[in-house]
Amino acid sequence: MSRWNYLLRRIALAIPVVIFATTMTFLIIRAGPQDPVLAILGPQSGTQAYHDIAVDLGIERRVNGEFVAVPLWEQYIDFVGSLFTGDFGQSWVIQRGAPVTDIIVARAPATIWLGFWSVIVALFIGIPLGFYAGLNPNTGGDYAASFFGIVWRAMPNFWLAVMLLATLANSQQLFGFSWQNLFIDTPVVLAGGAMELSFMYDPGLFIREPGQTLEQVAAAFKMVLPGALVLGSASMGNEMRIGRTAVLEAKNSNYVETAKAKGLHGRTIVWKHIFRNALIPLVPIITGEVFLLIGGSVLVEQVFVINGLGRLYFQAATNGDLPLIGSLTFFFIVITLSVNILQDVLYTLIDPRVGYEGE
Amino acid sequence: MHEEPTTITERIAANPRPALVWLAVFLALFALEAGALIQGVIVLVERIIVLLPTEAGLSAVTGAKQAAAEIPTLISREVIPNYGYRTPDGAWVNTFPENLPYVDSGLEPKWAWLIRNVLAFGYAAALLGWILHGYNVFRREYREADWTPRDDALGRFRRHTWGKAGFVVVFLFITMAVFAPTLGPTTVDRNIVQPYSYELTYLNEETGELDTVTVGTANTESRSAGAGDQNFGPWSYDNYDRFHPFGTLPQGTDLYTFMASGARVSLFIGLLSIAISGTLAATFAMISAYYKGLVDLALVVTGDSIMSIPQLLLLILLSAVFAGHWLGEIYSGGLLLALIFGFSTWPFLWRAVRGPALQVSTEEWVDAARSYGQTPRKTMTKHMLPYVIGYLMVYASLFIGGIIITTSALSFLGGGLGVNSPTPEWGRAIAAGQDYVATQSWHVALIPGVLIVLVVTGFNAFGDGIRDAIDPESEAGEGETEIVGGGAG
Repeated sequence: MSRWNYLLRRIALAIPVVIFATTMTFLIIRAGPQDPVLAILGPQSGTQAYHDIAVDLGIERRVNGEFVAVPLWEQYIDFVGSLFTGDFGQSWVIQRGAPVTDIIVARAPATIWLGFWSVIVALFIGIPLGFYAGLNPNTGGDYAASFFGIVWRAMPNFWLAVMLLATLANSQQLFGFSWQNLFIDTPVVLAGGAMELSFMYDPGLFIREPGQTLEQVAAAFKMVLPGALVLGSASMGNEMRIGRTAVLEAKNSNYVETAKAKGLHGRTIVWKHIFRNALIPLVPIITGEVFLLIGGSVLVEQVFVINGLGRLYFQAATNGDLPLIGSLTFFFIVITLSVNILQDVLYTLIDPRVGYEGE
Repeated sequence: MHEEPTTITERIAANPRPALVWLAVFLALFALEAGALIQGVIVLVERIIVLLPTEAGLSAVTGAKQAAAEIPTLISREVIPNYGYRTPDGAWVNTFPENLPYVDSGLEPKWAWLIRNVLAFGYAAALLGWILHGYNVFRREYREADWTPRDDALGRFRRHTWGKAGFVVVFLFITMAVFAPTLGPTTVDRNIVQPYSYELTYLNEETGELDTVTVGTANTESRSAGAGDQNFGPWSYDNYDRFHPFGTLPQGTDLYTFMASGARVSLFIGLLSIAISGTLAATFAMISAYYKGLVDLALVVTGDSIMSIPQLLLLILLSAVFAGHWLGEIYSGGLLLALIFGFSTWPFLWRAVRGPALQVSTEEWVDAARSYGQTPRKTMTKHMLPYVIGYLMVYASLFIGGIIITTSALSFLGGGLGVNSPTPEWGRAIAAGQDYVATQSWHVALIPGVLIVLVVTGFNAFGDGIRDAIDPESEAGEGETEIVGGGAG
């Protein structure tokens, strides 16, 4: 099978997956033990209010002045149809009446900002550490880096977040300098939309008010940094481990031997031959981070009080806003599948062996 | 000359001595704790009966429970009590050792508690050692083959320091979970669930007299509530002479009791969900490797669909949907959580063992079995499964760590997710202590967190050890495993 056929096959497989996953979401929400309308209204509610919402959600309809339950399969077609055509419906509890799309647009920047920096921070700490350990195997530095990676990976990120938050909030007593006032004044707990991210909606701000906007970016970076460090922690450990193994493998391979025999500089060998090949196994780790980020963002955003999508999901779940959860779940399914496909594309581009192995 | 294979019973009958010696010691060890085991089983039956609509049989069970409580058990808080109080002349009453002639004071509660804990862990270690010894006896005296590949795997594990260290941590964790009711300085029921139904006697320092107070009232005076408030840190006594090995929680309850009982919930959820997902994964791996083609594709689509919803979100979604459902009430939501984990983790496990399963399905012996007309079911279980089961164990050990972390993450989030009050769960202790990290009550959030890190590292190391033991060449298993739990790690 050629690599492009392989890629096409992977993309084609994503279609039944997204349909099946959406179906599961539908069944959980509409056929599960919780009545979506009661979840919105709470146990004490008038029948009129109940019917109004039920009709609006498409669970009941009016026939000759009577309220009749819509069959589940019709609900299913309606549910899936509107999601696939981009109609995410509206929120019922969190922001009553607001379209879900608007809520996602309002909340997404914080999560994107957090996710972006957690990937970057993890990459810039994890990979160099792993490569260092791989280039100097079985030294004290290697053991220290490996041990650090193992323990780091086993740390629950919510606990790490709690600890980091407390440390930063008391940095004055602990380290003699105050994190809040370091470089730019920022709060540690970001309640009430302290993080100003308007530059993400309007990149023109960088040209119109460069000074102020850059300051905003710096402040937002500093505010999100602790969360990003925590959120990236799991991937950081992985990247380190894989990076170490990959470097060790590349180092002992024939082409590196050849390069050495040709008399190439140590530095050239490391950068041109070892580094580039060692990056291949890191691709799935980096893309796999999306899973970690989406799930982990719930916890990190909750602890640092960042008003992003993860916190939204948690709030929707605990407040019984099932229509909002359904749409958000669909949104996350689409994102994870897109990243999976992106990973396959990247793989196909970098690694010519793809499609020939494991089939 | 061809020798007829003998069965294990025949071999034991021919040389019964080593087996009988082993069995006698095992039964003696078992008898020490039989009472606790029987009691545990009865409590379990009682819990199930309470859930059933009829009340029939409840009285019989209650009677049996009282009878079981009479069975002497060595390591119990009745034999080695650590409640008790000081008399004005400084002697300890009602602590271990009680009512001995010529001994006019019991030990301080902390020593009594320590003796019970050392005994419990020592007992567990002895039991484990004896079971391992039993395997050696079997190998030396009763096994027909002088050598099997498993011997090599065991030998490799024995030389694997990291794996052994992991095994020790896992063993300590399991012991803590199994002996939870005995280990704590007090019980969950007395200290956390119904503190106002129990009373304790203490020496009132001001009046110099013995007073009685309910445990609930004592708890409110034993809070660890951060700066400017009271604090009862690790290894300390509170004002009622109750000993707290890990200190107290902000509600004034005992953290060690909380942790021991929380270990039980974590282990229960971890084991049950791994059992469910492991069975599903093994079955599907066999079926997909044996039939390949369309069956495999259908499983890929199903698995990918489940995996495309980040697991933590799926857990939050399902917990929200099951809020108030009877299933969510059992074990304070622990059973529901285990079921959700079980049915959402199998794709990850299946993915991990699909490779080895496909590999073994191309072996000649599988082909031979097929052409001899053996049924697919028999081929799969006898000729393919044994090869895959080792890998399954590796990943099971790695995944349990992720499940423990995610369980505590959900409980930490609260809001009806995860394991709810009153059943202790480690994540809830972290949530309770999160505002006090930088105060004198730092222990509340720090100790549970450190224990989670230790236990999860232990399971990871144990998994690494098994992997290197069964397949020394492999470096597999990196990457996929960490995705389990969907980002709580």
